[in-house]
Amino acid sequence: MKMATASKSKRTGKSSAPAYVPPKKLPISFTVNGQEVSAEAPAHTTLLYLLRDLGFTEVKNGCEAGDCGACTILLDGLAMNACCALGVQAEGREITTVKGIGTVDNLHPIQQKFIEHGAIQCGFCTPGMIVAAKELLDLTPNPSRHEIKAGIAGNLCRCTGYVKIIDAIEAAAEELSSKKGKRK
Amino acid sequence: MRGFDFVAPTTISATLKAAKGRNTKFIAGGTNFLPDLRHQHDGPAKLVIDLMRVSALQGISSSKGQIKMGALATMTDFLTNKIILKEAPILAAMSEKFAGPIIRNRATVAGNIIDGGPAADAVPPLLALKAKVRLASEKGRRTVDLDKFLTGYRQTAIRSDELITAVTFPSPGRNHKWGYYKLARRNAMAITVVGVAVVLKVRRKKVEEAGISLGSVTAAPIRCYEAEKILEGNVVNLELAQKAAEACAAVAAPIDDIRASAEYRKLMCEVLPRRLICQALDISQDND
Repeated sequence: MKMATASKSKRTGKSSAPAYVPPKKLPISFTVNGQEVSAEAPAHTTLLYLLRDLGFTEVKNGCEAGDCGACTILLDGLAMNACCALGVQAEGREITTVKGIGTVDNLHPIQQKFIEHGAIQCGFCTPGMIVAAKELLDLTPNPSRHEIKAGIAGNLCRCTGYVKIIDAIEAAAEELSSKKGKRK
Repeated sequence: MRGFDFVAPTTISATLKAAKGRNTKFIAGGTNFLPDLRHQHDGPAKLVIDLMRVSALQGISSSKGQIKMGALATMTDFLTNKIILKEAPILAAMSEKFAGPIIRNRATVAGNIIDGGPAADAVPPLLALKAKVRLASEKGRRTVDLDKFLTGYRQTAIRSDELITAVTFPSPGRNHKWGYYKLARRNAMAITVVGVAVVLKVRRKKVEEAGISLGSVTAAPIRCYEAEKILEGNVVNLELAQKAAEACAAVAAPIDDIRASAEYRKLMCEVLPRRLICQALDISQDND
């Protein structure tokens, strides 16, 4: 009681409960899968929450600490955890989610091979896995199984394990490199 | 920490100006910042300054035997940069074991240092390379030896108005020998149980200069000065390597935690340095 009176007198006699001030929103614009997006969000909003609130729910929320890789996206072509950046840091950047790699009507070979090899069980890790696999195959077109394991080291699957996922990425690498060979 | 302001300057001077006199936090790759924010391990801040657009903090260069890494050099840079691969392959070997590829794309060298953690993986190799930290504030610039910069558990010698601009180290030379080992419970995304880095400059079979350091066994990674002295100036044999390894274990003060016991860590602080020194110098180890 004493403390309440003291604070009341300090605050020039007005009501002691401070009014809730919503955090200031900042304007953010960037592109997602080639589409320009504008939003407003407080500075503390993570890129993960920003993307999901904008409807890009293919970016999954797993651990929010950079451990599980479910929220893996490409930022200017580089794979990263969307939970480990502030939304405002994405200003002017190009973001690619799993939907930017291939769509239901036009699957990317990585996605096709994930289906063929039964590399999707519950599907929660899949969007992140595929984005990580995309970066891996862009940098290392013909990876060894060890390189595939290292490439998806930041992505957790809690269903069955990784054998089928590794098989799928291996098969996708074969198909992608044979396609490239034909084009030449 | 909620409701902070945010700015993303593009120059060091604009960054320092923005940081002056306000309760400020810097963000770069965010791989420590965001988990800290989520787990509320961070203190309050009125302003968060994004460093990712400051081009002067990027890049790795080499001049007159000095390698300079901008504060924003990432762990992925350590794996791909030609200067690093040629001059200090120990940093690439470390980076290969650092978290996972997605984290490595964002985690910066300055971030790993300033986080101040005992298990900061980039720190032991940088200590063994005798790295220095370049700092800037509106009052001026200064350079601090990395081992002096780390003052305790999550504590560094940085002042509140300062920013790490670069990390430098002298090239250990083309014929230097090195070894790195990260002892951990998994191959990736693991927090280090014991980290050991060894950098040896060898001339006519004699170790001219040694850099040996340990991570995860003291409040902050440390250099093992005694062990370095034991090797320096000598043609090293198994006996001397063993003596140096014992000197390493002597400075280790590990704790028990969920990853390993203090007893095991202490033992590994002898086994691993001996193994790395012997492997680096081609000394056969009968019983290892």
